[in-house]
Amino acid sequence: MTKTANRISQIAINVFLFAVSLSCIFPLIWMLYSSLKTSQEFDLNIMSLPSKPQFQNYIDAFEIGKMGTYFWNSAFVSLFTVIFTILFGFFTAYILARFKFPFRNVIYFMFLTGMLIPVHGLLIPIFVEFKALGLLDKRITLIFPYVAFNLSMAIFLFENFIKTVPIDVEEAACIDGSSSTNTVFRIVLPLCMPVISTSIILFFLGAWNEFPFALVLIKSAELRTLPIGLTNFNGQYTANYTQMLAAMVIVVLPVVVVYLAFAKKVMQGMTAGAVKG
Amino acid sequence: MESSPAMRPKRITFLIYLLPSVILFAFMVLVPVILAVRYSFFNWSGGPKMEFIGLDNYMTLIKDSYFWNAFLKNLLIVFFSVFGQIGIAFVISIFLMSKVVKWKGFHRTVIFIPVVLSSVVIGFLWGMIFNQDAGMLNWLLSSVGLESWIRPWLDDPNIVMFSVTVPIVWQYIGFYLIIFLAAMQSINSEVYEMAELDGATGFKKMLYITFPLLSDTIKIAIMLCIAGNMKAFDSIFVMTGGGPGSSSTVMAQYAYDTSFKSFKLGYGSTISVGIMILSVGLIVISRLIGGKKRD
Repeated sequence: MTKTANRISQIAINVFLFAVSLSCIFPLIWMLYSSLKTSQEFDLNIMSLPSKPQFQNYIDAFEIGKMGTYFWNSAFVSLFTVIFTILFGFFTAYILARFKFPFRNVIYFMFLTGMLIPVHGLLIPIFVEFKALGLLDKRITLIFPYVAFNLSMAIFLFENFIKTVPIDVEEAACIDGSSSTNTVFRIVLPLCMPVISTSIILFFLGAWNEFPFALVLIKSAELRTLPIGLTNFNGQYTANYTQMLAAMVIVVLPVVVVYLAFAKKVMQGMTAGAVKG
Repeated sequence: MESSPAMRPKRITFLIYLLPSVILFAFMVLVPVILAVRYSFFNWSGGPKMEFIGLDNYMTLIKDSYFWNAFLKNLLIVFFSVFGQIGIAFVISIFLMSKVVKWKGFHRTVIFIPVVLSSVVIGFLWGMIFNQDAGMLNWLLSSVGLESWIRPWLDDPNIVMFSVTVPIVWQYIGFYLIIFLAAMQSINSEVYEMAELDGATGFKKMLYITFPLLSDTIKIAIMLCIAGNMKAFDSIFVMTGGGPGSSSTVMAQYAYDTSFKSFKLGYGSTISVGIMILSVGLIVISRLIGGKKRD
């Protein structure tokens, strides 16, 4: 290859990558600045920058659109989903990784098949089950399916990790008179910190963004999570794009800020199952 | 490695560690699967009246052209995703591993952003991009003089499936990119150096070294891609709700409409069972094909 041809292909590759990157980031930037425009200004020209940035859309999104309530609901559900997934997942994985007991393989296999089952297929039976049990439309409703669907992945990640930790440390602790509970909490759990931080990211984002189960299992407006609140917002103010955009920024902003702060860790967390599997 | 008996927690502690997950999992995954199979044999609209109709729902499902069309739409999304997501991600990862590219960290970070976003937001955002009168895409086309290309992207039954597939493909390119980059970084650089000494150029290195060494990762990516796209729902629900007509109704949307709009919970369960069988079937088939090549 001649030098000029080389140079041209180099430029082409760089231009291509910038085009891809631009397609990923421009819609977000557009969303952000358009949310500062007035409705009339937006209708006039959808691409122009706001002539006088104003926050009325955000005030409306919180006051009329109830985004504050939805935000709090999403935070509540996501927080408890993460806590219970990590607790349940860690303890079960510890038992599965370290001890032999009857039905051990059955239980392990059961959790692994959980990764194969398409959870969308469970939407209807879970709706019926929750209706029969009076669990529909409660503050804690969504935490049950979210934790359960995450358990397979959590157990898989923790079990794989614990198996790589030499058992000598636990044995030494045992000889020194540490009780089994003490060993689990003071030695094994802290050693699992890398998996815990991965899990926090993976399961928080999953719960924060989850849509179909929140759509089916929650009816009252006061209990809706952000993604459902957003669809509701659209129905009520169909033509008001700028308010809608402000509401979308409210959903996305915390996630993007956390992502930009911990990009490496988030990438690792989101792809954890795939890379290790 | 096994623990010695002395380290074994007390029986009650043992159960406290183990049982909550097992019970929750059984209650939220196993019981619903069994329930779905049970309801699929009934004519039921959610009320107290349940009529056992044996395999009638399944006979209907086999002849239900809406269901099979929805399945074909999922397959279409899988097809474009395998080539779009995995293909584009593979090409970008090769570029990002080469020496000629500047701002590598920037590209990696930015291309991954859509992965962390709510697909409902993605749906609304692309709904605005595709909007016929006030959309970014048609604005762009008219400002570069391509007025003849302007389309009602989400309202034309003939193209709506392609339109709704674009954001799905676009959203997860970053996901596969990171998987490929991780795998490529684990390839021993000496392999490339040897090849360079033997005169291999960029393209040959990719074809004869990177691609074969990444085949396991690519297989995993394809399986994830199939599993992920069989459950496509959120962004399409937001963009079109399955319309116009049923021209963008995927399987999950069809099950949702049948159960919660027409209140046919019995037949909705049959559809759910159908979705589970088809999805698991496809995953198992792809695993078998992928596994055989290894030998």
